[in-house]
Amino acid sequence: MTSTSTDDETVVAESITVCRADELPVGAMRLIEAEGRKIGVFRCGDGELYAIEDRCSHDDGPLAEGEFDAAACTVECPRHGSLFDLRTGRPKTLPAFQPVETFEARVENGEVKLDH
Amino acid sequence: MATPETKAPSDDQTALKEIGADYAERFGFHDPETGYAYKAPKGLSEQVVRDISGYKSEPDWMREFRLKALEHFRARPTPRWGGNLAQIDWENIHYFVRASEKNSRSWDDVPDDIKKTFDRLGIPEAERKFLSGVGAQYESEVVYHQVREDLEKQGVIFMDMDSGLREHEDIVREYWATVIPPNDNKLAALNSAVWSGGSFVYVPAGVKVEMPLQAYFRINTENMGQFERTLIIAEEGADVHYVEGCTAPVYSTDSLHSAVVEIVAKPGAKVRYTTVQNWSTNVFNLVTKRAVAQEGATMEWIDCNLGSKLTMKYPSIYLLGPEAHGEILSIAFAGNGQHQDAGGKIIHGAPKTTSSIFAKSISKDGGRGTYRGLLEIAKGATEARSKVVCDALLLDEESRSDTYPTIRIDESDANVGHEASVSKIGEEQLFYLQAHGLDEEEASKMIVNGFIEPITKELPMEYAVEMNRLIELQMEGSIG
Repeated sequence: MTSTSTDDETVVAESITVCRADELPVGAMRLIEAEGRKIGVFRCGDGELYAIEDRCSHDDGPLAEGEFDAAACTVECPRHGSLFDLRTGRPKTLPAFQPVETFEARVENGEVKLDH
Repeated sequence: MATPETKAPSDDQTALKEIGADYAERFGFHDPETGYAYKAPKGLSEQVVRDISGYKSEPDWMREFRLKALEHFRARPTPRWGGNLAQIDWENIHYFVRASEKNSRSWDDVPDDIKKTFDRLGIPEAERKFLSGVGAQYESEVVYHQVREDLEKQGVIFMDMDSGLREHEDIVREYWATVIPPNDNKLAALNSAVWSGGSFVYVPAGVKVEMPLQAYFRINTENMGQFERTLIIAEEGADVHYVEGCTAPVYSTDSLHSAVVEIVAKPGAKVRYTTVQNWSTNVFNLVTKRAVAQEGATMEWIDCNLGSKLTMKYPSIYLLGPEAHGEILSIAFAGNGQHQDAGGKIIHGAPKTTSSIFAKSISKDGGRGTYRGLLEIAKGATEARSKVVCDALLLDEESRSDTYPTIRIDESDANVGHEASVSKIGEEQLFYLQAHGLDEEEASKMIVNGFIEPITKELPMEYAVEMNRLIELQMEGSIG
């Protein structure tokens, strides 16, 4: 884990290691916890990594373990069916209408890193 | 069915008696259950869902959508709030019945027994008078549908949902289940799995449909569910009023109606959706209706709930663009053995949005009226304004009224008003009217009509008349 510094104006993201890159193939999701927050890291059909907070903006229920469509790069909230675009965090269907928080995920030295 | 003659009735009494005599004919008849082109066996299974989809020659994506929805339906528990849904035997219902082989464009082509049914409902006459088009749903499938030529010239699409999917698959697929996903709730999942019929309406940008588009729905097969699916798209600046009237014959066993209605009002569009509903008193009426209003758009639900054994219906509006406006007007009339659990939901998701909910319920003979509503001002919806008014009128000691208003406000500058009242027909009101020459029944009717007048005046004339007649029928014999 990389330590970070914070000052009055800016918050520098912390970075944590999620897993080895080969442990997160296309179509897979890893759920991790960072400072009390759960975050889902997904690898979509385009091979890219995307991460969102594991909390539906509709009713705060868990989101990341919903049905993941790697080709469309979406996840469906298991509670009421809102479909979220993992690239933007925006819902594509109601009842959610506000975006969920997204995070930067990348591969570094063969490991998946997450900035949060 | 003949009604015994009464001696020297007054004009009003005669009129009322005629309505009563007509009632069984209009709403209580039961056409012979023959000549169905297709009738699914009772119960819900993957095979039934595949058969429905196959019968309609649907594209693969729709079949997969249905099958996934079936999984959601099975995975979800039956809701334990609202009314008592434990009485529904899901396996004792026909989920799909098809009345005739093909849709008919002209009245002459409609089969005789179906035509007789529609004649009783007065549809052709209504059409001649002021309707833009007629879509009548008979046994899960629209059999007669006509859009006036001038509407077609304007690019307005108004057809049954099955045809909409066939002929405008690209538009349907773009919006399908984006407002109400199949996993939204158990009944939406059920509808998504077995839907059939309903209306597809598309109004191009800037087009104003002057006359209301109208569809009638009814259920005729004993134990048959009716699961229509309606999708209305109003492009930017479009204006449309859709009206549905529901009537159903009387059955000996319980029947289920579970519709899904999705509406998208694009920027500046105006959509009004009016329902005057009179299901027979053994129907479970469990409907999910939801609309999105984008920037500057107006969405209005006018929802009149009579009849049914249990209605659970809360039309909702998501105000997702600045200055969008939403209105819900709701009337519920609960008689003996009936539970009307109705209301509305408005979610303010953008700044400067405005809304109002006016709900009125009348309960008599031990009926139960429930107002259940949600008003939400979400974070970011600054300068929002809303007013919620729910009034209940109890006509006797045995009846019941409950109010469950939920208000969530996440912005400090919201302006929200909420009023609620429960009242009984007072002895003093009755005495006053009787002192002016009305008998007790007439006086009660007048009080009830006055109570709902703010909503009935918003209905198209024909529906206002129908609504008042239905209320009068419900009131018949209620005094003394």
